[in-house]
Amino acid sequence: MEIIVAGPGCPRCIATENNVKKACEELGLEAKITHLYDVKLFPQLGIILTPAVVINGQVVVSGKVPTVEELKEILSKMAK
Amino acid sequence: MIKELLMAGFLALEDYIVKHVITCLIPAFLLAGAMVTFIDKTVIIKYLGSEANKIRSFSLASISSFLLAACSCTVIPVASGLYYTGASIGVAFIILWVAPAANILALIYTGAILGTKMVLSRIVSALLMAFIVGWIMVLVFERESKESLLKAEVGGKSIIPKKYLILIILILLSLLSPNYLVRSGPYWHKVLVWTFFTFIMVIYAIINIPKDKIRDWLRETWWFIRLIFPLLLLGVFIVGIIGKILPEEWIKAWLGGKSLSASFFATFIGAVSYFATMTEAPFVDTLMKLGMGKGPALALLLTGPGISLPNWLAIAKVFGVKKALVYIPTIIILGTLVGWFFGNFIF
Repeated sequence: MEIIVAGPGCPRCIATENNVKKACEELGLEAKITHLYDVKLFPQLGIILTPAVVINGQVVVSGKVPTVEELKEILSKMAK
Repeated sequence: MIKELLMAGFLALEDYIVKHVITCLIPAFLLAGAMVTFIDKTVIIKYLGSEANKIRSFSLASISSFLLAACSCTVIPVASGLYYTGASIGVAFIILWVAPAANILALIYTGAILGTKMVLSRIVSALLMAFIVGWIMVLVFERESKESLLKAEVGGKSIIPKKYLILIILILLSLLSPNYLVRSGPYWHKVLVWTFFTFIMVIYAIINIPKDKIRDWLRETWWFIRLIFPLLLLGVFIVGIIGKILPEEWIKAWLGGKSLSASFFATFIGAVSYFATMTEAPFVDTLMKLGMGKGPALALLLTGPGISLPNWLAIAKVFGVKKALVYIPTIIILGTLVGWFFGNFIF
């Protein structure tokens, strides 16, 4: 699974990245997590609002900091 | 000496924070949190990206910047996202300017500290500058007509459902009524009015808003508090100390009156230094007590949070050096002129 956290490096984006890591850990999920800082690339990924989470090319969270619980739900759905 | 300075810092904290926490800061953060949670920004942005008419898209960009709330987290990616997906460069820079220069949190706090006339001037001049900046950016940089990648597929989807709109109006009431209905009298009068309206707002929220939405709203509010409040405390403390150190004669000589040069200095200070959102209001208030003119004060209120050195660099990195070299001097020139104009003809 490939997860991209996108944001310009602000506190909310860092919180999002931490929550993503935690959610993967709690689910025992193997995932490649990258943090994308270059805002010029965001439109190509379909991201309008940050912080955003992109899983396997699909924008699943945008414009808010997701909780660990929310992420776990999304992740376990995507993992199927 | 050091003890005196620390005292000045704490006095400023009491003046600008303690007296505003319940009736201004808490409702303001609740409002910002509600706007982030309940307003569908995707819809706004899709409108913006696909609106080709300049006047309409510029107006829309200015107005929605008030609603996008106060986080630089959002502003730069939204502006660049719009630009790189094909919106007018004018729209991108209007958002880049209005969102920090006239965001809702800062406006509310400016009103509470500096009064209605100053906050109205701030709104009007921010919008005026936005249109001119947008127009200049278009004149210099707009490429040939291009297809926008963002199509407006917004049929039927509203920006905000009615029940959330009512909630936002109720929060606004709890925020504005203590500060505008109660103009004199002791502070507890304000608290009383605040309690009344907040009570209505809370009852409404409990009855009409789903629990998980309330949780989202409070979480966003808490984010704003966590991000902004420490900076505000620190900023106000420093403001108190600066007010103590700076000799009055200097302020009067450099920033007093309504001359073009005073306005330019105020603009320049604001353009270079970083003001965490909301801290510009107590800073300007302190300088005004020491003799700063109203025109220069307005200029500093606008450019203080509007642009700063770190923000110059970010803009140059995202949009390119050339655009930054047009945008920043334009803002400095406009800020100077606005300060001078308002100082001489409005205040």
